[in-house]
Amino acid sequence: MQPIIRLENVHHTYKPESNHPVKALNGIDLTVYPGEYLVILGHNGSGKSTLAKHLNALLLPTEGDVWVKEWNSKYAENFRSIRSTVGMVFQTPDNQIVSTIVEEDVAFGPENLGVPRDEIVRRVDWSLEQVDMTSFRHRAPHLLSGGQKQRVCIAGMLAMQPDVLVLDEATAMLDPLGRKEVLEVAQRLNKQEGVTIIAITHFMGEAVHADRLIVMDEGRIAMEGTPHEIFAQVEQLEALQLGVPQITQVAQALHRRMPAFPPDILTVDEFVDAFAEHVGPAQAPPSLPNGNDATADAPRGETAAVIELRDVGYNYMHDTPLEVKAIEDVNMAIYPGEVVGVIGHTGSGKSTIIQHFNALLRPHEGVVTVFGQDTSASTTDVREVRRRVGLVFQQPEAQLFERYVGDDIAFGPRNLKLSKEEVRERVRRAMERVGLGFEEYKDRMTFGLSGGQMRRVALAGVLALEPEVLVLDEPTSGLDPQGRRQLMSQILDLHGQGTTLTIISHNMEELAEMCDRLYVIADGTTYMHGSVDEVFAHRNDLRKMGLDAPGVTAVLDALAEAGLIDREQTAVYTVAAAIELLGGLVDAKL
Amino acid sequence: MQNFELLRNVTIGQYIPIDSPIHRLDPRTKILAATFLIVGISFNSAVIANVIFLLAVLAIALISRVPLKYVMRGFILGLPILILIFVMQLFFQGWVEPSGRVYFEWGFIRVTRYSIQLMVISLIRVVAFIFLTSLITMTSTTTELTHGMERLLEPFRRIGLPSHELALVMMIALRFVPTLAEEMERIMKAQASRGADLGTRRMWRPDKAAKNILPLIVPLFMNAFRRAEDLVLAMEARCYVSGEGRTKYVELHNSVVDYAVIAATFAFMLLMMFYPWPSLHSVLAGYGFDWL
Repeated sequence: MQPIIRLENVHHTYKPESNHPVKALNGIDLTVYPGEYLVILGHNGSGKSTLAKHLNALLLPTEGDVWVKEWNSKYAENFRSIRSTVGMVFQTPDNQIVSTIVEEDVAFGPENLGVPRDEIVRRVDWSLEQVDMTSFRHRAPHLLSGGQKQRVCIAGMLAMQPDVLVLDEATAMLDPLGRKEVLEVAQRLNKQEGVTIIAITHFMGEAVHADRLIVMDEGRIAMEGTPHEIFAQVEQLEALQLGVPQITQVAQALHRRMPAFPPDILTVDEFVDAFAEHVGPAQAPPSLPNGNDATADAPRGETAAVIELRDVGYNYMHDTPLEVKAIEDVNMAIYPGEVVGVIGHTGSGKSTIIQHFNALLRPHEGVVTVFGQDTSASTTDVREVRRRVGLVFQQPEAQLFERYVGDDIAFGPRNLKLSKEEVRERVRRAMERVGLGFEEYKDRMTFGLSGGQMRRVALAGVLALEPEVLVLDEPTSGLDPQGRRQLMSQILDLHGQGTTLTIISHNMEELAEMCDRLYVIADGTTYMHGSVDEVFAHRNDLRKMGLDAPGVTAVLDALAEAGLIDREQTAVYTVAAAIELLGGLVDAKL
Repeated sequence: MQNFELLRNVTIGQYIPIDSPIHRLDPRTKILAATFLIVGISFNSAVIANVIFLLAVLAIALISRVPLKYVMRGFILGLPILILIFVMQLFFQGWVEPSGRVYFEWGFIRVTRYSIQLMVISLIRVVAFIFLTSLITMTSTTTELTHGMERLLEPFRRIGLPSHELALVMMIALRFVPTLAEEMERIMKAQASRGADLGTRRMWRPDKAAKNILPLIVPLFMNAFRRAEDLVLAMEARCYVSGEGRTKYVELHNSVVDYAVIAATFAFMLLMMFYPWPSLHSVLAGYGFDWL
């Protein structure tokens, strides 16, 4: 078969003329065939996005050649043919949409190509149909959800009728539902329309369905193979700062106990089949693992809540004809020393709720009490409330503004009018708590840091206020697996040092591991709350709402469904607990 | 109390989504018709003609079914300046142009028939102008207007006017207004969470005020530049070329009504410019009222 894209010994160096040239690609040889579903994995900074931008001539190799069909990207007259053959969707949907109307945005590409109007109309209809956005064609893009916007961007590419679609971390900024929407579209296009898909990602779960996987490291292709081949090599992946899907982690733990158990399992079905073949139905139910004990439920009664919301309601555009209800009848309580998780869709109202925690918003109905003070009362010192309750927004690095790291972190303490020595001391403590050396980083340029480092600086900026309660809105979104793990363990250390934590996250595994209690927010109200066990026991309701239980729980549910384990044994929400339970069954069998 | 939601109220050209004959007109027709009307009246200083013109504009507003109260809101914005202009005209124009009957004179103030006339005419013109422009934005979406402007300016491409680029810039600006407003809101909240005292500190000290605004402006600009860079890549990936060789998805439809409206307003312009409109006082004098 003729390859559709061919890279021969491609090198790319950013700023080759400067004193600090950055070598991003270091001799890439890659051939892509029509109809393939190729996934490129790699940690942040491994060169995978640079590689992607070479595939449609947005970047040109400083050495080597890129061929798309018969066109070499080094000749400018080929750009048009190359770019209409290889469509590309980027990370942030907002920054790719040109028009104020969805259908006009989809038409932008074919307009540029000079396609006759009748044909544009046909293509716009077809593209919107493909991504299931036809009913939104007259909408303004800013009124759509992240997943919908990203689907509009895909439609915009499809309208140019490309043979290849490159998704350059197109799911990184989306919530699980949006991610699922985009992946389904990509898979359907691949299967039904024969579009070649090249997806760049650091979500291992997205790599499972690929025909072929490529792992990038330091500008080279470090590993290449089918998902089964790649994910069997755990040590190597970990050395490349990546992980394996959770289900594979469990399979590998079982493989270590029972060598016959296949270590390269990627899907639930495969797992159930392997378990039936090698282990069979459980002989005697082993003792239940105590992953999350029910005693964590609540220290209610004796201790006073640090933050309490009673029947809280809030409306946007209050007192205007455009008033919309954001939240209502919200009841929550956070007790000292707890780790509380908050789950809900984008748009469910959870961000609005946590902005009541530090009096950024004050309720239109109900009462919010923080450290015993009513935030609506005129006597309440709002700045004192904000000092004691630290709030870290999503992607907080987008709010950094000082040139030097130390100055940015000092912004909070300086606002408290502390002495110079005290400010310095606080900055030092805050930096150390997020794992940034004070002497090493305080005089570094803020905007020269990596994404993960900037996130930590932003977190330190809030910690420098030395809050007693820390509220984090999706602290790990957009980070690669290793960045995620590091940040989570630092956040847990803060809890060890006595900080009360509230964490909004879409990552159910993380929450199940860390939290004492969970709140589920839906349609602007507190839908459910309780211990991790209590909430995930209702996982069928959660799934109906489009939320999910942890991935390992789905495996156990499927095993129970197949009659291989007891229903009661499925209350397992972390990888460690799943390994303990299933490992016990394997041991009993041996 | 700080209100972080302020920026969400930014609405450019509040479009009122109802159906009316004016809504259905081609945006080009609306722009052209408004231009003809405004040019026509600018060349006419007869009170009678101006009153007729005002009535015509009110009739258009009624046809558009836009609530008149809404339209008047645009008027309130310009009110202080208008009052100043009227007072100046009323008191001093009599000295500049000493013609017509003098009604009142005291010190440096002189009110004449001419100055009253001028005041009435300016009032009518300003009201009509605000009515016409807000009617355009209220009855056409920003997208329609952008396309309308682009097509109208197209003939000027030949003399080097980048009509398509101007329209695209306008479109992208409108596209990012809500995005950046949301972003600003988020930044304000984040800095307030870090103890920033927004808006309450001594704003009459410009140095302090500037210092307070840095934590908001710097991230906003940094993020806007990042967005711009992304957008450039995304547009290049979609083979963007300016102007030549592009086709257009959006079609503007001219109906018979559109041509009729353009013809009517053009005729109106000619009528206003060239018909010898009699002055109000001479007409009234013909009926025996000579007190003016």
